[in-house]
Amino acid sequence: MSARISFLKNPDPCNHLSDYKLRYGTDGYKSFNNLFRCFNDGRIKIKLQGIDIPRCSYCSVYQKRLYICLICRSISCSSHILLHTQLNKGHDIAIDVERSELYCCACIDQVYDSEFDEVVVSKQLIGLGMSVKSGAAVVAVRSNKKRRLDSQLIIGSKFLVSPRDRREKWTFPLGLRGLNNLGSTCFMNAVLQALVHAPPLRNFWLSGQHNRDLCPRRTMGLLCLPCDLDVIFSAMFSGDRTPYSPAHLLYSWWQHSTNLATYEQQDSHEFFISLLDRIHENEGKSKCLYQDHEECQCITHKAFSGLLRSDVTCTTCGSTSTTYDPFIDISLTLDSVNGFSPADCRKNRYSGGPSVNATMPTLSGCLDFFTRSEKLGPDQKLNCQSCGEKRESSKQMSIRRLPLLLCLHVKRFEHSLTRKTSRKIDSYLQYPFRLNMSPYLSSSIIGKRFGNRIFAFDGEGEYDSSSSSSPSAEFEIFAVVTHSGMLESGHYVTYLRLKGLWYRCDDAWINEVEEEVVRGCECYMLFYAQERVIQKAHKELSYQVISMADAFPFADC
Amino acid sequence: MNHSVNRSPTLDEDDAADDFEKDEVTLREVINIKLVESGEKENLMELVRDRLVECGWKDEMRIACREHVKKKGRKDVTVDELIRVITPKGRASVPDSVKAELLNRIQNFIVSAAL
Repeated sequence: MSARISFLKNPDPCNHLSDYKLRYGTDGYKSFNNLFRCFNDGRIKIKLQGIDIPRCSYCSVYQKRLYICLICRSISCSSHILLHTQLNKGHDIAIDVERSELYCCACIDQVYDSEFDEVVVSKQLIGLGMSVKSGAAVVAVRSNKKRRLDSQLIIGSKFLVSPRDRREKWTFPLGLRGLNNLGSTCFMNAVLQALVHAPPLRNFWLSGQHNRDLCPRRTMGLLCLPCDLDVIFSAMFSGDRTPYSPAHLLYSWWQHSTNLATYEQQDSHEFFISLLDRIHENEGKSKCLYQDHEECQCITHKAFSGLLRSDVTCTTCGSTSTTYDPFIDISLTLDSVNGFSPADCRKNRYSGGPSVNATMPTLSGCLDFFTRSEKLGPDQKLNCQSCGEKRESSKQMSIRRLPLLLCLHVKRFEHSLTRKTSRKIDSYLQYPFRLNMSPYLSSSIIGKRFGNRIFAFDGEGEYDSSSSSSPSAEFEIFAVVTHSGMLESGHYVTYLRLKGLWYRCDDAWINEVEEEVVRGCECYMLFYAQERVIQKAHKELSYQVISMADAFPFADC
Repeated sequence: MNHSVNRSPTLDEDDAADDFEKDEVTLREVINIKLVESGEKENLMELVRDRLVECGWKDEMRIACREHVKKKGRKDVTVDELIRVITPKGRASVPDSVKAELLNRIQNFIVSAAL
């Protein structure tokens, strides 16, 4: 099983570390090989021969954080480590005895070296014998196919470019248009606004890649949702600012999901998933070469598909079994966002301890919770390969590959099957406009098990350390779908971010709003895009276009 | 390694209180040695680790660290500083149930090791 050094996040070494490396290279690290003691849960300690309890050579204390000098192997506590450097010139780099992490005594701070981590983790991996159960998806992933979305510019067959927009008093960006509520259809309008302004999707339809006039399904008289979307895109970007009624799409969607064909309020997220599903069905059939959605080239998957990694670890022997599953969105639990149940929160208060500053739930809190190591209950014992019997285990999710567009769904609607009740969780969730997803990537999550390391596990670095075409983990928000009110009688509104400005889309009413309004809203679905997608979209929106309405009048709608 | 060789010579032999303290410290050390030798120390460490994660203490600490880093700025914070600032908060917020359980385990150990 190969282990590769990734170029993910290599902090620059301090001068002292650089000097040390120049002089000693990696020999010093390797000489510690026999002193590492490995544990099942990924921890690695330094164990000196004949000494059970390491002590500071200056003050004999054993209770504090201890560091062992890389050069002379003397042990110092945190209070005396600086003294050691001062007394011994050049003895700057040490290793934390308990954690096997590099420390620079002169900088009084932790430092990182991927070569050190490689030595440490290699030792650990040999001991653990980590196994990877790979499905067909992984084989496809490892085939090094670089999936890049070739998003073409708006300049397609339907538009002309002009140097100046004639409607000067209308300063809204192109494509911004209200949607009429056709009877509790705000759930649909909200999602449509977000999708219409998702750059990859917008470019796909506007460049004619699913042209309703050329669609084979439609010519056969079959239902085709992508065709209905084609109509909508044309209408939205026509330049006409009067509110549009997406009746065709609603009707088509009803025909597909007859159980939801009522005038009752539906769940926006449910609509989102089913719409993407239909697009995949219509689009993907011809383009999907594999059974799994992994390599599907339909617009849904190109834009939204990512890969989740699930590790199940036996708590007895530490061996892990890994599986990969594709996803088109991530649903996040809102309740236990701070990592502890409301019960523990109460307990802390009674015992007189400092009140758990029940800080506001944040999106990063939710993502932390999503990627936490979860101990599976005793009734969920799994068959461990190396132990040979059913053992208690823990499960941990992480993101193996990020999609172009990341949809984060906040689970605000709780449906209890036992009590046959549903409720809405109203608590405010704080979320950022810029989101860095690297802490939730598999390489980071797995890496954390082995202490503070820079290291690629199991080829995790493979995808990320490739050339300039590798996606970054930096995301920028472009749409927020909010829900206000009660479960049965609520209302969906979408906030769109276009060219740095925020617009509130409340069915037929669109107006520009301040950033604070968006920050303070009750988010339900958050749409993030990789920063390069946003940057590209910025450039594209800067082109002024004459609409079809001027050049070629629109026949319907 | 003979511990007394490394001990710094700052004891006031006339002070009885100091003597008492010296004995206390020696006793603590003896217990610690026995714990380590028998491997019970590892078990206890793992137990504490598990309990502190379960009750959310670890997450609390992570949030506290984040807050501090946000305040000081990413470039200006060292590991040492974080330890210095967070340790008192951490010690203070360990739930009593965890302390009680740990104490119980150590007491049982002492009894069983016939110290």
